[in-house]
Amino acid sequence: MEAPVVLSGEGLTMRFGGIVAMAEVSFELRRGEILGIIGPNGAGKSTLLNIVTGIYRPSSGEVWLEGERLNGIPSHRIVSRGIARTFQSSRLFTDLSVLDNVIIGRHSRTRSGVFDAIFRRGRADRELAESAAIAEELLKGVSRDLFDQRHRAAGELPQADRRRLEIARALASEPKVLLLDEPSSGMDDADTDALMDDIRAICAARPELSMMIIEHDMRLVAALPHRVMVLDYGQKLADGPYEEIRRIPRVQEAYLGRKAAQHA
Amino acid sequence: MADLLLQQLLNWIVLGSIYALIAVGFSLLFGVLNIIHFSHGDVSFVAPFVALGAVQVMVASLPVAATPGILLLCILLALLLTGILGVVLEVLVIRRFRNAPAMMALVATVALGIVLRELIRHLYPNGSNPHPFPRFVSGEIAIGGVNVSLFAVVAVVCSVAAVVGLFALLNHTRLGLHIRAVSQDRDAARLMSISPTRIFRATFFVASAIGAVGAVFFAGYANLIRFDFSIDVGLIGFSAAVLGGLGSMAGAIVGSLLIAGLDTFVQAVVPNGASYRLVFVFLLVIAVLVFKPAGLFGRTVVEKV
Amino acid sequence: MSTQSISTASAGAFSVSGLMIVVASELAGAAFLREFLLAEDWRYVVALLAAFGVALVVMQSVPAIERRIENAFAAQRRAATIVAVLLVFAFPFALGGNTYALHLCVIAQLYAVLALALNFQLGSANIPNFATGASYGIGAYASALLALNFGVSFWLALPAAAIVATLSGFLLGLPSMRTRDSYLALVTIAFGVVVHQLLNNLEFTGGPNGLVGIPVPELFGHSFASPLVIFGVQLPSQANFYYLSAVLVAISILFAGRLHNSRVGLAWNALRADDLAARCQGINTTWYKVLAFAVDAFLAGFAGTIYAFYVGYISPDNFTFLVSVTIMTMVIAGGMDNILGVIVGAFLLTLLPEKLRAFSDYRILFFGVTVIAFLMIRPQGIFPQRLRRYGGH
Repeated sequence: MEAPVVLSGEGLTMRFGGIVAMAEVSFELRRGEILGIIGPNGAGKSTLLNIVTGIYRPSSGEVWLEGERLNGIPSHRIVSRGIARTFQSSRLFTDLSVLDNVIIGRHSRTRSGVFDAIFRRGRADRELAESAAIAEELLKGVSRDLFDQRHRAAGELPQADRRRLEIARALASEPKVLLLDEPSSGMDDADTDALMDDIRAICAARPELSMMIIEHDMRLVAALPHRVMVLDYGQKLADGPYEEIRRIPRVQEAYLGRKAAQHA
Repeated sequence: MADLLLQQLLNWIVLGSIYALIAVGFSLLFGVLNIIHFSHGDVSFVAPFVALGAVQVMVASLPVAATPGILLLCILLALLLTGILGVVLEVLVIRRFRNAPAMMALVATVALGIVLRELIRHLYPNGSNPHPFPRFVSGEIAIGGVNVSLFAVVAVVCSVAAVVGLFALLNHTRLGLHIRAVSQDRDAARLMSISPTRIFRATFFVASAIGAVGAVFFAGYANLIRFDFSIDVGLIGFSAAVLGGLGSMAGAIVGSLLIAGLDTFVQAVVPNGASYRLVFVFLLVIAVLVFKPAGLFGRTVVEKV
Repeated sequence: MSTQSISTASAGAFSVSGLMIVVASELAGAAFLREFLLAEDWRYVVALLAAFGVALVVMQSVPAIERRIENAFAAQRRAATIVAVLLVFAFPFALGGNTYALHLCVIAQLYAVLALALNFQLGSANIPNFATGASYGIGAYASALLALNFGVSFWLALPAAAIVATLSGFLLGLPSMRTRDSYLALVTIAFGVVVHQLLNNLEFTGGPNGLVGIPVPELFGHSFASPLVIFGVQLPSQANFYYLSAVLVAISILFAGRLHNSRVGLAWNALRADDLAARCQGINTTWYKVLAFAVDAFLAGFAGTIYAFYVGYISPDNFTFLVSVTIMTMVIAGGMDNILGVIVGAFLLTLLPEKLRAFSDYRILFFGVTVIAFLMIRPQGIFPQRLRRYGGH
């Protein structure tokens, strides 16, 4: 029996002025599943992530998370519903420590406000200490090396560690769905291999977690996702296991390139 | 009734043109530098003092009388020197805040404005007091059967000419092309072997000189100049530029006309309006920015994620 | 948490010298302030400033010294607080009845509160606000009007004015939901001008003449206009307000410290670094921006009330755009998001123009030049922002 659908999109369309960035895209993501999203630049991959996380409001279509409609819900509320993301151009809080970055990731799971911070300090401190402890555990889980650097400013980290930190920060909100936007961009092969191991470890520790990964690196796309969705010119070209979609000629042409098409 | 209306209409256009001359400078500098040069108004208002000082020096040392011709000559000299002052300030101060956080540049240029005003106050003889500022044209002219001040007409015509000149410079000359290139993408412009530093200086010269035209007309219009006139007029010019959308020349002009219109209207219609004009003007500014957060003609940037 | 126990263990050997460093630095700071306040000769003032500059340069070029002092304070927080409280308490006694010096201390402390208030916004969240002076004025006028028209006592006017100021802060913050950067800066400038113009023109605020005859506060039958006698030593009447404003500074520091090291402070820092990324961590950035405006206005309202009751008369010219700019400069020059830095910035920029009376007429000019020079030479402020410490780090 297949796992239940966690996240789904129906007929998602996004227009910016006259430009159609996304047309009638539908998708489903099941519990514990990793969905890869591929497509050339400008195919609408990031647009899809931005719609799901509430940064863009789709011109039409609907996003559902476990039976709840997400359209029109502001992005900060979507996080507490259980969707977390990373960014293509890693957007860390560079002037804060690594640990602070992850603690901020727990914002939606904590409650203290101004009043607590000033007048109910014990409570606020306890909550913050708890967040710090969870954040440290998360860092350890993602990478021991990162944990050792937790008191450094995030901006001082090398590229590969920044990605890891972004993933740790996203996991801090205890998401049901994790969206990774080109996690391997700017990494060499060795870094990418390490990243793949990290993602596998994260999935192994959280069998319920579903993921959507936008990727260009075909090694990662071939190895990690259970299923791959291909976008081109804002439309869905194909959707299926990697072995299947790589045989579709249009996919080879549109994405893998002519060379690959001839090889197949 | 009709001539009262025409008089108010003319007031509006004169004031609007003067504000616009200051506002386009703010907008131009922001477009190119990406920082607010808050002391732009204060730089512009150095011009009337230079002109006045030059007239006095010439009359004292040369066998000439303070004729309109001499005044005009001194004003042209003032425009030139004000433009150079803008460049000097860019080189000495503003350059260093090009890559600093926006608020730091803003505070630094606010302080620069204070320094400029204080310098005028201390260096110009009797600088704390208002000085009468002559008009280089006087008399009246009949428009549609109503007599209006010739100076007002000249002010409007010159302002329009200056703005048209600026547009021509930006759109039809090599320098204008380079200015636009730098304002769109500094690094790409550098790759095209355009030196941003040179363009920054040119922009400062042009903006300051055009602002100086506005300041001189303001002084002539008021028949008076004081070291702190630049506070209100500078702030209004800045507001007009923001209202229109920073970086947009047309926006700066529309913003100026809008503010000048409200200004004139309030003074003419609201009882005790002269005291409340700034209240109305700045409430308008707030209201517009609440509904159009990037100004009337500003590009709303869709954030790239 | 194992790191923490290690640091406590090493702190044993460290603590004696650590304590000495703490006491020595605080004494040096107080002594410097005393000298600066009492200096009459402008050459001495300049020499003191030069010494301050040299100390800064040394700290900048030998970071080990700075780190050592910082670690000592972190390890000896309680001792540092106790010594500081004692010094603040004893300070008026060391001024030898100099009422002018005491007066400057009151004003400097009020500005310290204003700078701390603005620091929540400008420092923590990088939201421009050129209207702190207006909130200060709203607090002052609200409390003065309550006292003059309804006979409300100072102690009731204080919270009432803070509430009025906070509400206006919310109002001012609303546009920040949509506008940002330069556009938001203009909204706050415009708000400041509107408030100033209204105070200047409305009938019930007394127009340009302002409000006069604000009654002197009393506490347990002791009038704040009469000299304060402590341990048989008679201090000038300004001492009453000195201690009052010192308490307000202490409360503000407490607020600032607690908010900084809380979920709220982290959220502000997050939206400072990257608004969109902050939203994607679940932070309602709109709300936190408005909140920053409200907290700023709340503290500014308190400061305004004390100011009004201290000087006894207020006029619109006490709350101009220039006042707001001065407060912004205090935060930037002192060091954004650094509590100590902001307070030092406030003292420096309040006392500097007063101490340069030798150049009486050139004071404002000198002020402007100093601000520009400061921003060019040390843009990160006297005491730059620090990473948060957890446990022993």
